[in-house]
Amino acid sequence: MSTDDNAAGTAEEAQVEVVDTFDDTIWDTVNRTLRAVDVRPERSALDLIIHIPRADIIRGLRMLKQDADLQFNYLRCLTAVDNESDGIDVVYQLYSVPKNINLTVKTTLPNENKVIETATTVWKAANWLERETAEMFGVSFSGHPDPRPLLMPEDIDMSDTYPLLKSHPFAEIDVLQGEILGHDRDAEGEG
Amino acid sequence: MSNTGTTTETAAPELVPAPPQVPEVTPPVPQEHPNEAPHLLPVTPQPGSALYRQALPGVMQVPADLVLAAARKSSLWPMTFGLACCAIEMIGTYMAHYDLDRFGIVPWPSPRQSDVMIVAGTVTKKMAPAVKLLYEQMPNPKWVISMGACATNGGPYTRYDRVLQGVDKVVPVDVYVPGCPPRPEALIDSFLALQDMIMEERSSEGRGA
Amino acid sequence: MVVDTSATEFETQDLLLNVGPQHPSTHGVFRMVLEIDGEVVKDLVPYIGYLHRGAEKLCENNDFRQGIGYMDRTEYLAAHNAELSYVMAVEALAEIEVPERAQWIRMILCELNRISSHFMFLGAFGVDVGVFGTPFIYGWRERERIIDLFEEISGDRMMFAYFRAGGLAWEVPLNFPERVREVLESARQGVKDFDGLLTQNEIFIARTKNVGVITADDAIEMGMSGPTIRASGVPLDLRKTEPYLQYDQIEFETITADGGDVFDRYLVRLQEISQSIDLIEQCLERLEDGPIMPEKMPRMLRLPEGEVYIRTEAPRGEYGIYMVSKGGNKPHRLKVRSACLSNLQALKQMCVGQYVADAIIVLGSIDIVLSEVDR
Repeated sequence: MSTDDNAAGTAEEAQVEVVDTFDDTIWDTVNRTLRAVDVRPERSALDLIIHIPRADIIRGLRMLKQDADLQFNYLRCLTAVDNESDGIDVVYQLYSVPKNINLTVKTTLPNENKVIETATTVWKAANWLERETAEMFGVSFSGHPDPRPLLMPEDIDMSDTYPLLKSHPFAEIDVLQGEILGHDRDAEGEG
Repeated sequence: MSNTGTTTETAAPELVPAPPQVPEVTPPVPQEHPNEAPHLLPVTPQPGSALYRQALPGVMQVPADLVLAAARKSSLWPMTFGLACCAIEMIGTYMAHYDLDRFGIVPWPSPRQSDVMIVAGTVTKKMAPAVKLLYEQMPNPKWVISMGACATNGGPYTRYDRVLQGVDKVVPVDVYVPGCPPRPEALIDSFLALQDMIMEERSSEGRGA
Repeated sequence: MVVDTSATEFETQDLLLNVGPQHPSTHGVFRMVLEIDGEVVKDLVPYIGYLHRGAEKLCENNDFRQGIGYMDRTEYLAAHNAELSYVMAVEALAEIEVPERAQWIRMILCELNRISSHFMFLGAFGVDVGVFGTPFIYGWRERERIIDLFEEISGDRMMFAYFRAGGLAWEVPLNFPERVREVLESARQGVKDFDGLLTQNEIFIARTKNVGVITADDAIEMGMSGPTIRASGVPLDLRKTEPYLQYDQIEFETITADGGDVFDRYLVRLQEISQSIDLIEQCLERLEDGPIMPEKMPRMLRLPEGEVYIRTEAPRGEYGIYMVSKGGNKPHRLKVRSACLSNLQALKQMCVGQYVADAIIVLGSIDIVLSEVDR
């Protein structure tokens, strides 16, 4: 039974460090399957999260799909999270239909080089999900069969802005309430 | 648009009166469609050039206006243009519970044969050219009802920059209906307001009437 | 059925047909460009994004009570199910315990919303198939009764904003069980009407049998969910496989069909209405008095750091909310996993080789709601 230490090994007197062994999750099977890949576990409120480095992500996902004990053949969700200076996390939510188990897989991309290999070779469901993540965050999925924007307007030139990044601002409101009716905002102070 | 000139030959000048003088009108070519086929260019409405106004003498125009306005307001055919959640309330207003058919309002899918465009839902910047094209494809006289908060000024989504802050940035709007979504009774009220507006403006010469 | 057009006698050219963003099937602003050879579809390219309103971005600027209104509007036909995922995500992150009476009432409202959404589907689908008018009026008759009940409870016909993190906004009216039973009585009659009109109708069967077939393996590969995948034979129902609320305490069976064609999708949804009526009856028996919000609920929620992916069974499939919180009273990232987007990816596969009219029916049978596809 492999244990995994959360904390560094500092010995504080009379302080019990909680060591999370992830025994009640599928961590053991996942760790065994991904023994060729560098994996780190974590907990979310419901599932197990594993962090895989960017270079091994597709290899890891393919191993998770093809392993006989896990069989993660259903890609639920593929998205990204903008952590500002810490880079962008790409998140995959996997589900196994025969075994009824869930897993969240995360990988981090640095802000300067937002390139990751495409997951369409593993699941076909990743096609549209990757197109949407690419246009929302500026992540480029190398090897994608159809890298067009999905939800953004094609002809209006907004292709260099990525709405879901934290640095993208909200729009200003053109007409404020009461403007057309003739209220003078400057005369009344803050209308 | 063709014009009729004055005829130069008459059989007996005293018996056959000369036809009325009609000014020659040629519509200007709109600059935003330079490559559009000429028969697809939108018609710019010229006030006072409807055929019945040319043919009838002045004293007959007032009852003619009244009859035509009453006919138009009693059979407004909206184009089914539901974009988002307001479309469901619009459909509910057409259905048996809050019947709109009793006012003569029949939903019609084609823009070429409809009178009113109910913009029901958020207009995004991707959809705005299509809204404009559909408005231009409708023949005169036409009106626009902007249903819901999103079509009025962007609604709850106004701070997103891919959303058009109100449909009146691309088409001229006659009636605004507030609500998110407006109740069917509110939509019926907007149609009644539009009908009153049509009757009031019957003698003005706007909108190509 | 797949039509083979390879052996033709004359030179023909394929036509590009644009089924534009405005078209009479009331599914919303969806555009597809069909490449057709005669009447047979060779290729299909869908274009979406005409209703992309940025709910995910806007929710990052609104706290955990304002976000409920945005979730209503992403799935406007089944707003209770959408709100449910969101409040369950907030409760999971904040570790709030929801009282049992609120759980049962949430279940009843979600199942009623499933019934009203499926009636809307049956109405619109009937119009797509060609039975113009009658199914739509039947469906709306039932929907109006259910919506009247929702208006008595929450004050709005479509955008309820009735669920809160921790329970419900306010108590239901005193005659709630009687009103629900009246609505169920009329819903039973509605199911009988639709059954009599469509299920044995030979024209309907000829139009929908063996049309738009997708196999179980393809459906799992494309990430489909909901009645669309259950009609292909995969017993994937989140109320059974990963039970939430109190679904593990009532008895029901997963409804599947084995053809994977349009008729099976219609039949699965029709049977799901009857199943939901039965579920609501079971919930009403178990409903007891009690509080609807936990005591000491703060008005302004501040969540600890963490993330969660909550998935529930909406009428169209798996509606998931992936929420990342970094402290504070607003989510850091909110991702809406929409069932209709994943179901729509398979449209090309289901339509190629069929007639143009079948492509319209297949689109109708997936039952998309554009604001969920585009968010």
